[in-house]
Amino acid sequence: MSIEPCAESVAEPLSEPLSERAVDALPPLDTAPTALVALAREAGYRSTPAPLAETLLVARPLLAAAGLAVPDGQLTVAAGPLDVRFTHVDTDSRVGPSGAAGTDDALRVSGTLHRVPWARAAEAAVVLTEGPGGGPVLFLLEATEWRQVAGTNLAGEPRDDLVLLDVAVPAERVRRIPAALVREATWRSGLARAALIAGAARRCVELTVDHTSSRVQFGRPLSHFQAVKQEEAKLVEEAALVAAAVEAAASALSEPDSAEFTAWLAAAQAAASVAEITRIAHQLHGAIGFTELSPLRLATTRMWSWRDEDSGERAWQQRIGRHVLDGGSGGLWQQVTGG
Amino acid sequence: MTLSDLDLGAVQLPPEATRLRQEVRDFLAAERAAGTVLGRPDSWLTGWDPAFTRRLARRGWIGMTLPRAYGGGGRSNLERYVVIEELLAAGAPVSAHWVADRQAGPTILRHGTEAQRNHFLPRIAAGACFFSIGMSEQDSGSDLASVRTRAERTANGWRLTGTKMWTGGAHVNDHAIVLARTDESEDRHAGLSQFIVDLRDPHVRVEPIRLLSGEHTFNYCHLEGVELTDEALLGRPGDGWRQVTGELALERSGPERFLSTLPLLSALVGQLQRTGACSPEQQARVGRLTARLASIRQLSLGVAAALAAGRPADVQAALVKDLGTRFEGELVNEVREILPIAARFDATRGSYPELLATAILHAPGYTLRGGTNEILRGIITRGLELSR
Repeated sequence: MSIEPCAESVAEPLSEPLSERAVDALPPLDTAPTALVALAREAGYRSTPAPLAETLLVARPLLAAAGLAVPDGQLTVAAGPLDVRFTHVDTDSRVGPSGAAGTDDALRVSGTLHRVPWARAAEAAVVLTEGPGGGPVLFLLEATEWRQVAGTNLAGEPRDDLVLLDVAVPAERVRRIPAALVREATWRSGLARAALIAGAARRCVELTVDHTSSRVQFGRPLSHFQAVKQEEAKLVEEAALVAAAVEAAASALSEPDSAEFTAWLAAAQAAASVAEITRIAHQLHGAIGFTELSPLRLATTRMWSWRDEDSGERAWQQRIGRHVLDGGSGGLWQQVTGG
Repeated sequence: MTLSDLDLGAVQLPPEATRLRQEVRDFLAAERAAGTVLGRPDSWLTGWDPAFTRRLARRGWIGMTLPRAYGGGGRSNLERYVVIEELLAAGAPVSAHWVADRQAGPTILRHGTEAQRNHFLPRIAAGACFFSIGMSEQDSGSDLASVRTRAERTANGWRLTGTKMWTGGAHVNDHAIVLARTDESEDRHAGLSQFIVDLRDPHVRVEPIRLLSGEHTFNYCHLEGVELTDEALLGRPGDGWRQVTGELALERSGPERFLSTLPLLSALVGQLQRTGACSPEQQARVGRLTARLASIRQLSLGVAAALAAGRPADVQAALVKDLGTRFEGELVNEVREILPIAARFDATRGSYPELLATAILHAPGYTLRGGTNEILRGIITRGLELSR
């Protein structure tokens, strides 16, 4: 499967060149969180060929939280086990086994990070892994420091493996981070993916409404058939549901107490709604939606991938379920209402 | 309407809503301790407890949005939303005042005469005057404009003849707001009017229609030549259709359209917590339901906020009702899968098998009442057409 160049797919009124809008002109670092989520939704709507959601909602906030400078350009995020050693081992240290302490935080890193979104288009990658002294570390890798093995998801979006061969990461690009920031990386990724799904769901609705109101069979538009109306309404509803969940998570981004759980809810709902939204959109499109003649696939194939990425539908649901079941009686309703 | 209008955005509840929510929770905890029947599915339909209603009224939680001048609370729609969602989530017995609080009060405020407002609104807010909805008939369900109940002009007012059907609580409530034809007209939507009818009138005969569970909430309401003065007319003659459709957004988007079976889910969670170890499968299924519940609630809050701001939200209300009431039924099916225990209507009241039985036996109603979902989907797609 080839990578879809987005410009090819984008019909009116989306003809504005994406390279000028979404890719080159990243919003300033102090942009409001709700506006960042809106941009991620737009990227999902437009099938933007860049790690915009990853940059805005995950990589930049993580770097800022870790106290690292945020580089210009598109960023991606990767997490996973790596072989990580201190560049300058503190041989005088009596803490832990040999090599468990360094004279500074500079690292030498080897290993493979799997299926990293848009790595080939990113200037740098934010990497989270277990540090040599135990405990999580976050560091910034520059694109020149990894070797890339190209891979793609169901939509043909790049999901590249990054091979690191004894890469030296200077101390100024490394931070030891609290476990909470590792969790934040997870829920932020889930929210980013949910925002993309919300945008793509909107695209499914628009394309489907366009199709059913213009396609004529038996002398009338498809949208005049009761059976079609029933399904179309459910499509609209399910897309609205995802949008509502994502908007709630967006506005909770500025509330430390509820941001994480609300992001889980959005990630779980967005992933769970993909099946119904894509089913109805394709059914109402008829044969053309199943082919490259229609742009519908740009939305649906992405949604089929996104629901499984960043831990996936089941994992989000389990996190929520565990949280609710651990919460004592009345816990479910209290969680839903935010306390 | 455009597609963007379906995106209602996030609703931030005001800080006073948080305090209010806690007050309601404290009240409910005390009621629970006192043994008031709580935790029941569909409590807004079958939980008839006038004493509980009066205790709520003393807290100022009935007629909250009515102006203080009429005995109301003068509070916002979102504050009322918080109170009723807490009551419904707790499965509290709120059916006695439900229609009076949700529908009759706001309708009388909007369309009633000063005399009607002064008479009814303080009584509604005091939890001392209960209403039924007199809209549906044998041949007029979703197609409400086809009602045959007639109000004929008399020397002193009107004479009302016909039979209303599915009239919830007509056997226990005080009044019904009846939609009747006052004028034969080419336009079916013209010539309809609303009347406030005393259900204790000797010419009103209430006949039970039992639910498939044997429970009695519905009735026929035979109006056998009920003599009404002009005082009984609500709003203007011929404006009945417009007035009724104005009520529908209130009726469709509230938390009773997705919380009817939540007490069953809460009971399930309690049951799973008592048994200890939950499988990852059970966790995931509880999580899936929780995410859907929370998302539907966000949409419903969005409609409440839109209505409070005076924005039209008929399409959005229809959307919430379809999603929410389907969820009420899905929840019951899911709960059966998560913890397969046979439902028993004759098990101890409040036990898990009995709550499950109640929720199952009520399930056909969720997607019918307040406008059949198939018809509501037509409202949604008509909204899409108008947006093009």
